[in-house]
Amino acid sequence: MTADAETDVPFHFGADAELFGLYHPVATPATKAVLLCPPLGQDLIRCHRLYRQLAQALAAAGLPVLRFDYYGSGDSAGRSAELHWTRCLDDIVSAATELRARSGCGRVLAFGARMGGSAAIASAASAGLAALVLWDPIVDGAAHVAQLDAMQDSLQHDTRRFLKPRTVAAIANQWLGFDVSGELRRQLLALHIEPSSVPTWVVDSNGWPTWKAFGASHATTIALHTRTPWDDPGRLELAIQSHELIRIANDLLQGA
Amino acid sequence: MDVERAFRFGRAGHLVGIAGLPPAAQDVGVIVLNAGLVHRIGPFRLHVELTRRLNACGYPSVRFDLSTLGDSGASSASESRVQQVRADIADAMTLLREQAGCTRFVLVGLCSGAENAHRAAATEAGVAGAIFLDGYAYRTVGFEVRRYLPLLLNPARVGRLLARRLRVSGWPAAAPSFSVAHPPRRQVRDELADMLDRGLKLYFIYSGGTNRYLNHRRQFRECFGRLAVHPGVEVERLEETDHTYILTGDRDMLLGRIEQWMDRHFPLSSRPSP
Repeated sequence: MTADAETDVPFHFGADAELFGLYHPVATPATKAVLLCPPLGQDLIRCHRLYRQLAQALAAAGLPVLRFDYYGSGDSAGRSAELHWTRCLDDIVSAATELRARSGCGRVLAFGARMGGSAAIASAASAGLAALVLWDPIVDGAAHVAQLDAMQDSLQHDTRRFLKPRTVAAIANQWLGFDVSGELRRQLLALHIEPSSVPTWVVDSNGWPTWKAFGASHATTIALHTRTPWDDPGRLELAIQSHELIRIANDLLQGA
Repeated sequence: MDVERAFRFGRAGHLVGIAGLPPAAQDVGVIVLNAGLVHRIGPFRLHVELTRRLNACGYPSVRFDLSTLGDSGASSASESRVQQVRADIADAMTLLREQAGCTRFVLVGLCSGAENAHRAAATEAGVAGAIFLDGYAYRTVGFEVRRYLPLLLNPARVGRLLARRLRVSGWPAAAPSFSVAHPPRRQVRDELADMLDRGLKLYFIYSGGTNRYLNHRRQFRECFGRLAVHPGVEVERLEETDHTYILTGDRDMLLGRIEQWMDRHFPLSSRPSP
């Protein structure tokens, strides 16, 4: 990829310019645009490259794309402890508005992985999203909190990472590298994602049974051939890569 | 945001970074380099927390993605990776010079970032200091003695070590690789000596994650001899921490050390109002 093809624009937007975004424009006018909703925590870092590759593929196919970071994450303003679920949903609304303004497209589709997918469903109505492509979205917040707590607890005696066991206090109030507020914990514990009324495609790489109970009448499930190691502690700092996911998401969003 | 601004910059407009620009112009700016393949925010957002903390003190900063990492592309120039990295860092210095009036620069890098900081500090005239997080160090006789003597005195530990080795070796596909190919020790020592002769201030911080090749603070002297007592050198070993500072308390401690070192060696000409 040379500099000539690198026309994506980094900028800040939203109230007080608190949100970081990267806009991928297209050469010819488009009728729809795609908002990429990032996941949370370490998933955001692990998916960064994949999101960039998906954005470039979509832009190359003629769809303007906006990537962005929620308040309290990535390059956006705010400390990690200030990341709140309800603010994430508000930020998707702001990002969709920004994408419409930059692209001139009234019709905005969304893609999200894990909690990014959950946030896209939860904000679909308020952000006016026309269709959703979700990759392994979290639908049961309490189960997700339990998983994150278990992985965080395992750090205390992780001799592959630390020379000596750490204290309970040293690992408290964090999830895998990030401070967590009591408010975010409460919000996620109470979170149960309901199906959206907009067309939804779920790309499922883990065969999770939760999808069978989740609005089959509204969502079409597509299975990835390769399992995604989201919750493998040994791969916590390895990037998530899937050319198959990029191809499928690209096809779905172009056809939506 | 009133302090941070996003930039696409560089000799081919191919680099993406976030500059932190406190209101008062400063002579010294801080440039934070990628750690491995992690994009500019750093492992667990370490680089965001570091630059914002230094911005709050009054230091301008930029955290950015080197060519082909994160959101940055490649320049069209035909360059080796080393040439590319040096030119990218020179581009970041130009950005801070234009945006914040900086004329001297402190480079910060973790792991491969420390390696790149070393390369640039060895050749770039504008570099006034460098903070190497888990940078170069070499196994020494002292390292081997500290490592194996306790085992000889306590055979039960041999069994535990072997069991641990077996567990680790059964996990190769999953374990992230943090290894950096080190150049010959003599070359690094000569380059460090040259940096110090040029007046650079150097801060070496080693985490517990370096235990495979460094297991005591004094090993720095075993590696590099009298450079260790040069007034421009400070060395710390944060034994309890891991390589990427996953625990927020460990990160706070690291950032506090860096802030204090900056204040000792690069005091600001004017400080922001409280």
